Amino acid sequence: MTTFSVLALLLFLAMWAVGGKQGAIAFVSLGVNFALLFLTIVLVQFHLPPLPVTLVAGTIILEVTIFFGNDDDNSTTTAFYASVIVMLLLLLFIVPVEHWAQVAGFGDEDSEDLEGMSLYIGISFLKVEICTVVLSTLGAIAEAAMAISSGLSEIETQQPTITGKRLFGDGLNVGKQIIGTTFNTLFFGFFGGFLSLFIWFVGLRYSIGEVFNDKVFVAELLMVLLSFIGVLITVPMTAAVASWRWHRQPHQSQKQPVVTKVDVDE
Amino acid sequence: MLALLKAGNHQMNVKPKHSTNWWVTLVCVLFGGLLVLGVAYDAPIYQRPIAKITSVRNERPVKQQDEFENQDATVHQRINAVLINTIHKGQKITLSNTYSRSGAMDQPYRVGNQVFISKLTRGQQSNIKGPKRDTVVALLTWIVISLLFIFMRSAGFMALLSVGLNAVLFFLAINIDLSLKNGNVFVIFSLISVVFAALTLWLVLGWSRQTVITLTATLSGTALAIVISLIVFALTHERGMHYEGLQYVTTLPRPLFLAETLIGSLGAVMDESTDIVATLFELQAERPDVSRNQLFLSGRNVGRSIMGPLINVLFLIFVADTFPLTLLYLKNGNNWGYTYMMNMSMGVIQSLISGLGIVLAIPVASFVASRLMKKRVMTDDNL
Repeated sequence: MTTFSVLALLLFLAMWAVGGKQGAIAFVSLGVNFALLFLTIVLVQFHLPPLPVTLVAGTIILEVTIFFGNDDDNSTTTAFYASVIVMLLLLLFIVPVEHWAQVAGFGDEDSEDLEGMSLYIGISFLKVEICTVVLSTLGAIAEAAMAISSGLSEIETQQPTITGKRLFGDGLNVGKQIIGTTFNTLFFGFFGGFLSLFIWFVGLRYSIGEVFNDKVFVAELLMVLLSFIGVLITVPMTAAVASWRWHRQPHQSQKQPVVTKVDVDE
Repeated sequence: MLALLKAGNHQMNVKPKHSTNWWVTLVCVLFGGLLVLGVAYDAPIYQRPIAKITSVRNERPVKQQDEFENQDATVHQRINAVLINTIHKGQKITLSNTYSRSGAMDQPYRVGNQVFISKLTRGQQSNIKGPKRDTVVALLTWIVISLLFIFMRSAGFMALLSVGLNAVLFFLAINIDLSLKNGNVFVIFSLISVVFAALTLWLVLGWSRQTVITLTATLSGTALAIVISLIVFALTHERGMHYEGLQYVTTLPRPLFLAETLIGSLGAVMDESTDIVATLFELQAERPDVSRNQLFLSGRNVGRSIMGPLINVLFLIFVADTFPLTLLYLKNGNNWGYTYMMNMSMGVIQSLISGLGIVLAIPVASFVASRLMKKRVMTDDNL
């Protein structure tokens, strides 16, 4: 057996043991997301326009991440709407920033990996970079949206008469509680993956000026910063969607809490 | 923007005290904007020569076709520029550049771009080394910090502080690693992780029993995942692991891979343990008679709804990052299997190990919290 298959099996068993059926479904969501990512690359390879392909794949990834393994309809639907809106809003940042920063493709540090390869492949790496950034932020957006909407759904259950405005303010408060740990998740997630690059920089004594203009480093840093921005927009956006949805549909939200309540007391 | 204004009004209406805070925020945001503007004109502090492009003339595109029948085109640019720093400031120079439509390692330049160039030597044309990118970094950093202060107030400041301090620690750790010639990068980063976790949790939670419990849970969850992975590595003889697929490797790849995995998952495991332990503390405060077993089960309930999204956060970061190189491999006539193996397989294994850490931290955090919290109640009773 390969290391991969044993680790995958162990992860499945662990998620099943800890999360039951919900955990097993969450494991499946990983597999589905991987298939979607690979499919995106293959479609781009066949010269389909990268951005529309990514947006469709991204929407499905958000759907899979949010709905798989979560039973609470009320908060998941809110989180899904909010995160799709955030993905589109973030694109308004990503496109001009990537055009301006010119960090698409590969840097000098990649030379060794590129040896003997043809670089003139006829697909714009700028567009590919935009897709990469969009996809890498989706997990963080989905997670933050879920945290806010499930917190708000809890508050709404306890006070069904709460006004939309108050709910929005509460959403920001929940956001304050999660922002520190969420930023650290992203910081370590990104920088852990690039430890080797940083060892390279420090080992070869790059100056600060060189590092902050280096193509590979700036590309990575922009990804972290754009994810931060994604999470930061997600907080008010989820709060706004929640107050809009639950304020407009008082009848439905009075029914829904029963479901959430059972889930909590379980 | 509307949301932003609404939030402002809301806060001002409820607590008029905050209006002065808003002025402070506004001044800080504007001052930051000025700093960004400063970075756009910071060429004089660089020692490398920088030129500003004044005119560009594109020649006709030349068709390119490679052995894999990929169609592309290259364009040669004749560029006039003026030096904006060093003692040659103001000198006019001519440069040239060739870019391809795909732009894997090249890019078109436009009028107004600032570029680093090679040292000026008489009778020779300088080369463009690359665009100046510090302004866009400064601008985005400013946007992040401004949004943090506007939406999150003091919580935003703490988040910023912890990320900033971690970045400094990260840099120090790499320096320590490189100064120890024969040091094992994994051992060093394992030790540093303890400091990372302690510092971050201290900043987020303050120094309390809750922090100690969260820290214990984080460290044991992560350690457990790494130990299990090492056992799996040994039992399977690392079959199907392709260290040659790792990028930018300058030292032994195996400890480096483990260190990357450890650091990568640390934030997510902390995130989760914080949530679980905080919820259990709240539960205990509301219902002091809750039993250890009930606490354990509640912890598991909190954990299982967040583990899926958290694993996906890391998974998407680790795998999406390999996109450009994967595409290049596919376009260079490699099959899916080889492309996956060389580019994505290590990221996937990293996600699996991180996933194990995230899942195992749930019972560990619930267990540690349910035992240690109860002890506190007993000592409180004794007092």
